Amino acid sequence: MDERSNVSPNMIKMWRVYRTVKEMCMDRGYEMLKEDTDISLDEFAARFAKEDGEPDRGRMHFSCQPTEAMLVKYTDSPTPKNPNPVPQIGTIWIEFNSDDAVGLKQLRDYMQHLVNGSFYSGIMVVQKPMTGMALRLLRGSASIEEGPKGGVEVFVEQDLLVNITKHELVPKHVLLSKEEKAQLLQRYRLKETQLPRIQVTDPVAKYLGLRRGQVVKIIRKSETAGRYASYRWAI
Amino acid sequence: MTPKSILKNSTVSTNEPSATSKPYTQRHRDVALQHASIIEEQKRVEKEVLDAIMTLMDFPTSPTADPMRPSPSDALFFQGLMVNFQPSDYDSLIEERNIADRCGYALCPRPKKKAPSKARKHFIETDKGVEIVDRRTLEVWCSDDCARRALYVKVQLSEEPAWMRRGGVNDKIELLVENAEDHHKALPLRLKQEAAPKPAKSEEEEDVASAWAARDDALADLALERGEKPGRLSKANKDLLRTHIQERVQTAPSVPPEPPTQLSGQSHMAIEGHIPRADRPKDEDEEDDGTDWDKHLPG
Repeated sequence: MDERSNVSPNMIKMWRVYRTVKEMCMDRGYEMLKEDTDISLDEFAARFAKEDGEPDRGRMHFSCQPTEAMLVKYTDSPTPKNPNPVPQIGTIWIEFNSDDAVGLKQLRDYMQHLVNGSFYSGIMVVQKPMTGMALRLLRGSASIEEGPKGGVEVFVEQDLLVNITKHELVPKHVLLSKEEKAQLLQRYRLKETQLPRIQVTDPVAKYLGLRRGQVVKIIRKSETAGRYASYRWAI
Repeated sequence: MTPKSILKNSTVSTNEPSATSKPYTQRHRDVALQHASIIEEQKRVEKEVLDAIMTLMDFPTSPTADPMRPSPSDALFFQGLMVNFQPSDYDSLIEERNIADRCGYALCPRPKKKAPSKARKHFIETDKGVEIVDRRTLEVWCSDDCARRALYVKVQLSEEPAWMRRGGVNDKIELLVENAEDHHKALPLRLKQEAAPKPAKSEEEEDVASAWAARDDALADLALERGEKPGRLSKANKDLLRTHIQERVQTAPSVPPEPPTQLSGQSHMAIEGHIPRADRPKDEDEEDDGTDWDKHLPG
């Protein structure tokens, strides 16, 4: 605890948020070094502190490339009509908003930035929940032309203080590719509507950035069976 | 190779609706369609409100506009957009404009007022004495006049969501503008009423007035054409309302209800027509008497 005494509480908070965001990108399958995800507090403070000891959110932004494995996972299997499918994923841009209140203006600026930088998707981390109208714009943002293709996700700093997937009661969630999903449905002779569901607003689903129609495999410990796998259809 | 199922090949799927369930009637379908159209209308209105707020965030069009005398085009545009708004939407508009550092009133180009310090609470001198208020509430408007003008609009908005409204109700929002006489001439919404009593005007003004009136008529016609004004709902649920009223025909002459025949003395004990046995007096011919089981026994 000695090393923390000279760092402001806000700095420690932002450090934890920053680490969670990095871990989130790694768990989703973006290229990320292990050292990046466990940056020490001292190093973080040295990189992002302002003169007054408060975190400088404006400098914390970064972008990630998807790994090969992730690109494969997000690519449809080729069909005669579409022999060379394009992966449904791309570079992501993560920004930490420093404004006190975030409304339509900030969200539109952010979307504009994503489009200008030709990023596929984006994550905005805000200090306080956005206004209602901004949420409304966000809900429809996947379908509007002005936004980025992959949509925008917004997280509140408060929700990222701890990495929820590291909690012992949260089982492991693994995203299935289109191919694996097809195999699963064929193995159990199911239609996808017959699978149990998970909401895309579920905390873990948000963490993994699930999209509607994807299937996750949930592996949980079982006293009787050792490990038990179940599947959820994101809705 | 696909794994082979050990289950029997059954032809009947359990998911199919059984034949015994009631068939869907046309009426069910109409009800479902009616609700679906309401939801669709809701989505449309919500999108319109969102677009309106995005437009109004950058209002007014000229940076030198005066909130007391907004330009007629701005005022008309603002009034038109306000028709769909609920008071809560209006609050959102004010909030968004404040985040963009503008006065909450959409026709005012000035930035919002800055509180004297960054403290969270402030002391304010009012007629009733000193009040302690939040800093946020201080930084909403540029001046008290703008607050009055903005709230004048807000109180006219209907609490009922626009997709549930009947056509023709509350489709005119008045603005609080100074030197109203000039403005009313310029504002086409009031023009029709005022044109008749004051015919003696300069030619130029009359031309302008007639042009505005023609435009207003055209706009109204367009709205009609879109099916917006007159009773959107009534059109959609035409099939659900029965215009043909069927009289209930009486087949048999009415008969007074039968008086309770037996045990009439006990009618006050009846519970929904049934008289509990416990309080009933002993009857000779009662079949299942508690003690008659040995009567019929031989010997």
